[in-house]
Amino acid sequence: MVLCVHDEDLVFKALADPTRRLLLDRLFERDGMTLGELEAEVPQLTRFGVMKHLRVLEEAGLVVTRKRGRHKHHYLNPVPIRLIYERWIDKYRDRRAAALLELRDQLEGHR
Amino acid sequence: MTNATQAATATQVYQLYIRATQEEFWDAITNPAIVAKFFFGAQVESTYEVGSKLRSLSPNGSDMWGDNTILECDPPRRLVHTWRSLYDPVLAAEPESRVTWEIEAQPGGLAKLTVVHDRLDSSPKTAASVRGWSYILSNLKTVLETGQALPPIM
Repeated sequence: MVLCVHDEDLVFKALADPTRRLLLDRLFERDGMTLGELEAEVPQLTRFGVMKHLRVLEEAGLVVTRKRGRHKHHYLNPVPIRLIYERWIDKYRDRRAAALLELRDQLEGHR
Repeated sequence: MTNATQAATATQVYQLYIRATQEEFWDAITNPAIVAKFFFGAQVESTYEVGSKLRSLSPNGSDMWGDNTILECDPPRRLVHTWRSLYDPVLAAEPESRVTWEIEAQPGGLAKLTVVHDRLDSSPKTAASVRGWSYILSNLKTVLETGQALPPIM
């Protein structure tokens, strides 16, 4: 298996950390930040810490970097989340909704 | 904010890996029959020559969704065209932006697609609306890997 494939395990592991979710949220608000700008967004982390988390996000395909002049910019790539959504959420949504409706009917029917 | 960051903020990047060759990928994004499967049933017309039009119409052909221009075409690697969302009058009033498709062959029978939608500096409403690229590209993945389109968004 090639590491750069959007392996679901890598995506779930990357999303399992609150700091990494915070970095994604910051990029959602302001896409294309440089390392220095991202560092300023999470002052509780060291530069090394931010780099470490960004590397995990990049390996999972959730962050894509592009060079522009002297700067490297970080972009939120929402596609792996969309794929997880289709594979793991959308698929079960109808069944769950149906189960809840059935539960409601049962509860209301027995009232 | 620096100018470089402002320009970078007006850029969106989408990336995905698909089990397909670079050529299959290229065919998928330039073959009208395949584009229709992953792009809301759009009817696309273009000769894919630099300077030529890239038109897209609604499935029944009654509405013009896009009347863009091919800026670069380097099969099977790179396609660049202008973008204006004609399907919505508010978005259509905003300045033109740009879409770049980059296809790279990868080891293991995979290809990597990167879609960069940029020059969105003066088109904030378009920038917000084209977040739907995620849906389109995951649809493209499904079409290429299974031949089937996803069910339409409700």
